[in-house]
Amino acid sequence: MTAALSDVPQLVLNGVMSGAILTVPAIGLTAIYAVLRFPNFAVASHATVGAFAGYLANVMLGWPLVPAALAAFLVAGVIGVVSDWVVLRPLRPAGLITVTIASVALMIALENLVRLGFGNALRDYDLPILRDWRFAGLRVGPQQLEDLAIAVVAVGVLFAVLHLTRVGKAMRAVADNPTLAAIKGIDAAKIALLVNFVAMGLAGLGGMLIGLDTSIDPLTGFRTLLAVFAAAVVGGLGSIPGAVMGALTVGIAEELSQLALPPDYRTVVGFLAILLVLTMRPRGLLGARSY
Amino acid sequence: MTFTVSRRAALLGAAALAAPRLVRAQGAKLQLGVLTPLTGAGAFDGPRMLKAMQAVAADVNAAGGVLGKQIELVVEDDETNPEAAVRAAHKLVDVDKVPVIMGTWASAVTMAVAPVCWESKTFLTTVSGADTITQLPHQGYLIRTQPNNFLQATKHAEFIIRQGRKKVFILSIQAPFTVPTQKRLTDVLTPNGVAVVGSLIYDKDKTSYRSEVDQALKASPDLLYLNGYAPDVGVVLRDLYRADYTGAKLTQSYALTEKALQELPKPVTEGVLTVQPSADVNSPAYAAAVKRLGIATPDSYEAQATDWISIVVLTIARAGQATGTAIRDTVRQITNSDGEKVYTAVDGLAAIKAGKKIKYEGASGPCVFTEIGDITDCKFRFNQVANGAFRLVEVM
Amino acid sequence: MGNYLVAMSVTAGIYALMALGVNLTWGLAGMVNLGLAGFFAVGGYVTALLTKAGAAIPVGMVAGALVAALAGAVVALITARLRADYLAIVTLGFSESVRIVAANEIWLTNGSDGIAGIRGPWRATVSPTAYNLIFLAIVLSVLIVVLFVMHRLAAAPFGRVLRALRDDEDVAAVAGKTVLLFKVKAFAIGAGVLGLAGTLYVHDTSYIAPDIFAPLLTINIVLALVLGGVGNNAGAVVGAVGLVILLEGSRFAAPLLPFLSAAQIAAIRELLISGLLLVILRILPGGLVPERVAPE
Repeated sequence: MTAALSDVPQLVLNGVMSGAILTVPAIGLTAIYAVLRFPNFAVASHATVGAFAGYLANVMLGWPLVPAALAAFLVAGVIGVVSDWVVLRPLRPAGLITVTIASVALMIALENLVRLGFGNALRDYDLPILRDWRFAGLRVGPQQLEDLAIAVVAVGVLFAVLHLTRVGKAMRAVADNPTLAAIKGIDAAKIALLVNFVAMGLAGLGGMLIGLDTSIDPLTGFRTLLAVFAAAVVGGLGSIPGAVMGALTVGIAEELSQLALPPDYRTVVGFLAILLVLTMRPRGLLGARSY
Repeated sequence: MTFTVSRRAALLGAAALAAPRLVRAQGAKLQLGVLTPLTGAGAFDGPRMLKAMQAVAADVNAAGGVLGKQIELVVEDDETNPEAAVRAAHKLVDVDKVPVIMGTWASAVTMAVAPVCWESKTFLTTVSGADTITQLPHQGYLIRTQPNNFLQATKHAEFIIRQGRKKVFILSIQAPFTVPTQKRLTDVLTPNGVAVVGSLIYDKDKTSYRSEVDQALKASPDLLYLNGYAPDVGVVLRDLYRADYTGAKLTQSYALTEKALQELPKPVTEGVLTVQPSADVNSPAYAAAVKRLGIATPDSYEAQATDWISIVVLTIARAGQATGTAIRDTVRQITNSDGEKVYTAVDGLAAIKAGKKIKYEGASGPCVFTEIGDITDCKFRFNQVANGAFRLVEVM
Repeated sequence: MGNYLVAMSVTAGIYALMALGVNLTWGLAGMVNLGLAGFFAVGGYVTALLTKAGAAIPVGMVAGALVAALAGAVVALITARLRADYLAIVTLGFSESVRIVAANEIWLTNGSDGIAGIRGPWRATVSPTAYNLIFLAIVLSVLIVVLFVMHRLAAAPFGRVLRALRDDEDVAAVAGKTVLLFKVKAFAIGAGVLGLAGTLYVHDTSYIAPDIFAPLLTINIVLALVLGGVGNNAGAVVGAVGLVILLEGSRFAAPLLPFLSAAQIAAIRELLISGLLLVILRILPGGLVPERVAPE
């Protein structure tokens, strides 16, 4: 059973909402790629870590949504810094492919640390569930709007930091031209630290946003890996505005694909999107390394 | 330090693989194999089945064990992956030399592991639902406590008719049970005046099913048949609530467990009907499982796991030996006999000791098996969620 | 115990074949082929369908390898111009798409139910233990032949061109070689070896299903390659054996921790595997058998 043309507005709206959430971890992946030049698969399990950190804050400590989301960001960010420093940084001299493979092993290790601590049971946040609002023949959930707001704020803050602060400009400089940046005295190691903190923090926040609508378990982050990759690639690996565009595009494309394909071919759509972009316009929608 | 030597040696070579067996060989133990998903897509269900088996084993051990030995479960993770499961099965069969493997969940895993079992004359018990499983040439080394799709769909459809529903929409994940269940439901419902107004297969890994829910609700069903697993059904239920769906919802008991009821918000689960294979309404076996597990409403898998180990233990006691072939040859003397009814392994062992002929009636049903290892029939227990807890609707 | 070791050796052998197939394109030609599970699947399904329809097993196996090679050529034609990391992502997508199509197109593949009862060489007439030994002999023979062919390819002009391409594509292009043609050939041969491994797996276990080709398999083989050292065939074999020892050896570490739940013990096992890999990479970044730099 496939959707009908009259469903298109709702499908687009759904796609925008899911795409907005996807933006957050996609930016994380693309930012690490921009500065450190490799796709860091561990983004997926940092999303899981963040989701569980937020869960602990919300359910165990009783914090409301926004402070819990902040906790998700901070905890995932710190774990991101530590995991990079301990595991990935020492391997960088061995080449980017080795580091990439190591990030896969790191992803598995982190996922299982979460499983060790929490088991496999599905857990839900302690937040009220609300019925959708309806307008103009469409429906949207208040939780979705709240998630959208959080995503917008997070991305907005990131843009502000990147363009208005010294440290943000330093990050962009390193991403753009590491040699020149080094000549100008920018400490690459410090920047790497910062990027990992921010990027993995965003991944953690993204994981929690996904969990808010559903429930969380150790595989939460892994399930989103393909979509996050597709979003970053479609937008242009290394481009943060690209990740935003890519995430929205992927979100909408997955929904619209239901017009022609049965819903469980969704993953194929994600890969087709990646394939099309990479073979026809490898720099992505906005081109690599544009901030 | 024996442990360090074993660990390093195990990682380095064949000879040392024998070392851990020294650690285990204290006192006579009866080792039974468990192969169940502890990681991967089935990871939500494996640990629960294992817990049910551990609970029965603990009871039996406290009462003196079987054949004078204490039961020890040797557990391996099938990772919900057939390739990994086959390796794990080889380890259980060739290294631990267990007479039985219990606990496979995913149909593809069971299909892959079954030849390893029957070729090594190891008995296999499973919950996997694919019809093709019992049709394999397993020579009797396989029993499945899960009713096949035909039986399930028939009884579910009869319940839907009795509930007075008129328009049913089926939401499924992609699995071996999807098409046969849909077909049988339609075949039973349609001549009885209930229309199947549509069906839809969704991707089980999505984080939102709004669009799928929209499609389903477009057909204005008054009952949604949710044929998925716990993670995805949980999300579907949430999205149904958000979409303001007020009709009936029917799903398998393993897709909405008692634990999940504690996590999901009450408005989301209110009124949901769950179904599981069952013995009679006042089944002492089910009541015993309730008490043993400390759960008010054990689900289908927990009940089936309870029955596997109980049947296996009783069969071993009856046969006087613990080999796969002995279990294969003797099992129906416990399950298909007309002897005195017993409802727990402990009671059954006592009866066997007293020389009596027994018939085990399980928590998941009468547990009578056909030649090819399917259950012949069972009742079905229908529960409904009211204010965050299950209450029994009927057993039919 | 003996049968277990034989069975695990068969697994190691098949993994080694897969690692070799990936190594040809990756180590030699610098193209990261994460579509390995997809080509493995293609080979497996082709031989399963053919032999179930009555074809002889060797026919099924050769057909499986050829169709996989063809698929490899097609994938290469579409993607060969991509950068390494892009190629990795796209080929991974190919793998996943094969798996999803196999799960959904029930008319062809029997869907997620899979196809059971696939014949094996002399399976019906010998005991299971004997069958395992026979199969081990078959896998080892195939492995030796493939290793020999790989060795000749690497030493031949074909191999030198591939290495030149890997090390500097611009120079190679200037040197006048038809870059694309070489890449497609390398990809196709690698895919063919992967398909062959798939046929072996399917005839060994008598069963094929989409879930076998899950990302877990891809991760395992890539880890095997990196463990052994990308770029040389000995590394591929050593890595595969090392990985199987890791995967299986870690099971025996479990009984040492009785106070944890089963899910936690499973988690520890996975931690052991991934952790040990990271440690080995740290100590020996080139893998267990680092590639010696060939003279120019």
